[in-house]
Amino acid sequence: MAQVPGQQLSSKDLGLFRQVVRHFESKQYKKGLKTAEQVLKKNPNHADTQAMKALILHSQGHTTEAFDLAKLALKGNMKSHVCWHVYGLLWRGEKNFEEASKAYKFALRLEPDSQPIQRDLAYLQIQMRDYEGYIESRRNMLQQKPGFRQNWTALAIAHHLAGAYDEAENVLTTYEDTIKTKLSRTDIEHWEAVLYKNYIIAESGNVEKALDHLEAVGKRSPDVLGVMEMRADYLLRLDRKDEAEAAYSALLDRNTENSAYFDGWVKAKGLQDVEPSEAKQAYDEIAAKNSRSDLPRRRPLDFLSGDAFREAADAYLLRMLRRGVPSTFANIKQLYGDASKRKTVQELVEGYEAGKVPAVADGSEPVTEKEQENFKWSVPYFLAQHYNFAASRDLSKALEYADKCLALDPNSVDFHAVKARTYKYLGNISKAAELMAKAEELDLKDRAINTKCAKYKLRNNQNEQALEMAGKFTQNKTSGGPLADLLDMQCIWFLTEDGQAYLRQRKLGLALKRFHQILNIFDVWQDDQFDFHNFSLRKGMIRAYIDMLRWEDHLRDHPFFSRMATSAVQAYILLADNPDLALGPMLNGVNGTAANGKMSEADRKKALKKAKKEQEKMEKAEADKKALAKASKPVPKAEADDVKKEDTDPLGKTLVETKTPLDDAMKFLTPLLEFCPDVLDAQKVGFELYMRRKKYLLAVKCLLKVRSLVPEDADAHFYAYQLRTELENKEQKPDEKVVELVKELAKDVLQLDVPVNEWNENFAKENKDKSVRHAQAYVQVNDAIDPSSKAENEKTIVSSVSSAKDASLTDLTAGLETLQIRGSSSDVVESYKAEARKTWPEADVFATTES
Amino acid sequence: MVDVIPVSSYPSHITLLPSIQQCNLTNLPENYFLKYYLYHALTWPQLSFVAVVRTAKPTTYPKVVGYVLAKMEEDPRDGVQHGHITSLSVMRTHRRLGIAEKLMRNSQRAMAEVFNADYVSLHVLEKTEDKYYADGEDAYAMKMDLKNMQIKDAPEAEDQDEGDAVGSADKKEEKDTTNGVKEKMVKVRVGRQRGVADLVEKNEGTGASY
Repeated sequence: MAQVPGQQLSSKDLGLFRQVVRHFESKQYKKGLKTAEQVLKKNPNHADTQAMKALILHSQGHTTEAFDLAKLALKGNMKSHVCWHVYGLLWRGEKNFEEASKAYKFALRLEPDSQPIQRDLAYLQIQMRDYEGYIESRRNMLQQKPGFRQNWTALAIAHHLAGAYDEAENVLTTYEDTIKTKLSRTDIEHWEAVLYKNYIIAESGNVEKALDHLEAVGKRSPDVLGVMEMRADYLLRLDRKDEAEAAYSALLDRNTENSAYFDGWVKAKGLQDVEPSEAKQAYDEIAAKNSRSDLPRRRPLDFLSGDAFREAADAYLLRMLRRGVPSTFANIKQLYGDASKRKTVQELVEGYEAGKVPAVADGSEPVTEKEQENFKWSVPYFLAQHYNFAASRDLSKALEYADKCLALDPNSVDFHAVKARTYKYLGNISKAAELMAKAEELDLKDRAINTKCAKYKLRNNQNEQALEMAGKFTQNKTSGGPLADLLDMQCIWFLTEDGQAYLRQRKLGLALKRFHQILNIFDVWQDDQFDFHNFSLRKGMIRAYIDMLRWEDHLRDHPFFSRMATSAVQAYILLADNPDLALGPMLNGVNGTAANGKMSEADRKKALKKAKKEQEKMEKAEADKKALAKASKPVPKAEADDVKKEDTDPLGKTLVETKTPLDDAMKFLTPLLEFCPDVLDAQKVGFELYMRRKKYLLAVKCLLKVRSLVPEDADAHFYAYQLRTELENKEQKPDEKVVELVKELAKDVLQLDVPVNEWNENFAKENKDKSVRHAQAYVQVNDAIDPSSKAENEKTIVSSVSSAKDASLTDLTAGLETLQIRGSSSDVVESYKAEARKTWPEADVFATTES
Repeated sequence: MVDVIPVSSYPSHITLLPSIQQCNLTNLPENYFLKYYLYHALTWPQLSFVAVVRTAKPTTYPKVVGYVLAKMEEDPRDGVQHGHITSLSVMRTHRRLGIAEKLMRNSQRAMAEVFNADYVSLHVLEKTEDKYYADGEDAYAMKMDLKNMQIKDAPEAEDQDEGDAVGSADKKEEKDTTNGVKEKMVKVRVGRQRGVADLVEKNEGTGASY
């Protein structure tokens, strides 16, 4: 180390310094700090000790202090690799990988042979997907320790990920050539590396070579199934049909419940080109060999049609219903995309219900008594689900069959649950929640029904009761109670539904809190891969590791993410449009919430006051909870260094009090649009947010995407109108170039050459009686063009409800929201509801408002 | 239609881990964070299987209706290589289709074939009300022999032609194993395994060489 004054330690102090390092590594932070102080007492400017102290402070959560001290250490000794390394580690802890990587590189320049620094840099590079950097690091590490197989594999991984297949393969082969002894089947690391090489060859596109290699080495690999799957896939891709058929048959012998095996088998056999009856026969042969298999019996229903379908469906349904399989419907409903199949199934099962049943099962065995018993309930239960399902919905029939089931067994969880679901579809959310609670009481030990019950409570906006319900199955040891456990266990479904329920109630602080918590869980999941860069090399399971890395790259295209992020952006838009909501829900007495702009100033004040009171009540309850938890918990032990940070803002107050909601929303919108571009609602909130941010090019991109996803989407019309207006905005004219570009891009959508009135009338004509939503889009535009037409427009909305007989609950609810946002008078709202009630008499949202 | 597929299929289904985690949270009181699922999938990739609903149009994220999360015991107390079922569940909507059995059977076969497991163990929570929700509850330990599914080391000479497709070994014997689960029942204590302590080795810490 370079000689800088004040940086030499006596041998005793050097020993102490080493202890500090050891204490840190074994997470004994208090001891580490104490020892560091001891060294610093005698050597106050010893930079390396200061740095180590900073590292410990950082681990204890004292971030600012840690950075200050680390910087001081660096100032004291710029030539110390320890100081630079620590500085990098601090940045790494803050997830600032750029800065961390810079610091590591400085450290490495000072100490080129340091393995820990090189290693930390390498993990950072792969985490950041800096493949070139990673190749360089792994090459260094290999040169330092060429005796370790891990180092060869790691370099191959680096090349592979960078797309250099030949290099990757060569590195692996070079190592293989050094192996002198025959390796047994139990050498997992070796055989995995061999299959990894095969995986690389196949990915490079040389399937022929991959197959040859696999034939040579695959037989000795312990990953029997893996080899079989790869081999079958290669054979099929190489069009070697007979061998592929045999390979897929062998896979089906092991597992008949895998569609992919069937797909390969069908292709290899050319079954997609033969008569369906011939294909059916092939499936029957497999079914006959596997009495307990479902797929070979169920799959022919996908490709059969007409009488052949009816016959096969009859046999399948009888078999399942007689056995009393409650999930029969869940297994059948995928067929309902085909209307004729839907009709056939309905006829068949209604026939069973009417007593039209052949006397023998499967055409041979007589029906047993048990089977007859099963049939009594399984048929009406199937029908209850059938009539609940969107494609075959008839809710009064669904209720009838649910009640029939309940008459047979009033204590069945499933029967209550199916009835609850019917009420949900009827829009009677409160009754649905009640019924689901009944179901839950019948089996207190089953978390599945508990989950359903909690979910229905959330749909009914009963957040606290839902948490209490879910809390029956959480481990409530921490002071945070059930919620803390659900958070710890990353219970996405609960957090999402909880947040959405708060959003509906316009409790935006809590809603945003939940959405940020989920956003954070995704960050944690992304961070989770870090430890595996090292771990997987040690374990040797390289293919799984590569698959994991690739999945992490698109982690946020999961529906869990889009559902949450869309709601979060909606919450921020609401907040931006109506900053008063930061104080709490602003109820205006029209059963729900409304933009305060339409309220009188006196009403607004009243609402604000009420909201504030509500907020204070919540804060107090939260404080009480905390105090209680503190009182009942023993004082934490002194050595418990890893104390979890307390959440200082459980109600999301700081989130909702933001001055920049439109900026904050971007944290959600950017990944949402990047990873979930095909989600319609994502594009819609994207448009809304970009318009408010005056980013017209980005907004138009969203609008065009909405149109391409659903060409007839009603909202797109109003969006197009907003864009037209903005482009012609005289006061704040957007940049000329932007205007031109937008006009060019959205020429067909905007139709600027048609005057706006005419344009809107055309829309109305083209979409006459299409849906309530279309009628509303027309009205929204009319409203905007000519505010004096408002009264007339409202009549149009109400009459659109009466003329659209089959309007969906979702559409009508959206329509009601539009009215409320417009600030329509309560008369209008009530007559709208009255019309909607004719179609949806049970729906909570259309109930008359008691004043 | 329900498929029972390996998480480590070719191509991989590792993308299903978050849905598997939510399936577990929906059905069972023993929960783990995602890293624990990753730990299984990256240490014993072949042992975990998942049941998904296959739709007409293929999606990246089909609905997960069941799973088995399994591992090899790392330091077997009895010194015998054996597998362990960490968690197994099937959604209420898809019960009685035989999914759990199929999941188990696939996992057990992989334990024997890939890791040469002699047996598999499984802890089943005791359904008594008092203890059910608490941490450290009682459970039954079950074990089942897998030796007949193991593959003896293949012949050394690589050029030897074995004729049969890989891995068709011991089909007949397998049948006996599916129903004979309850070989031995012993009461054991189980805790909440959240940790992935093995992930970071102590001696690989920051500055071991300073």
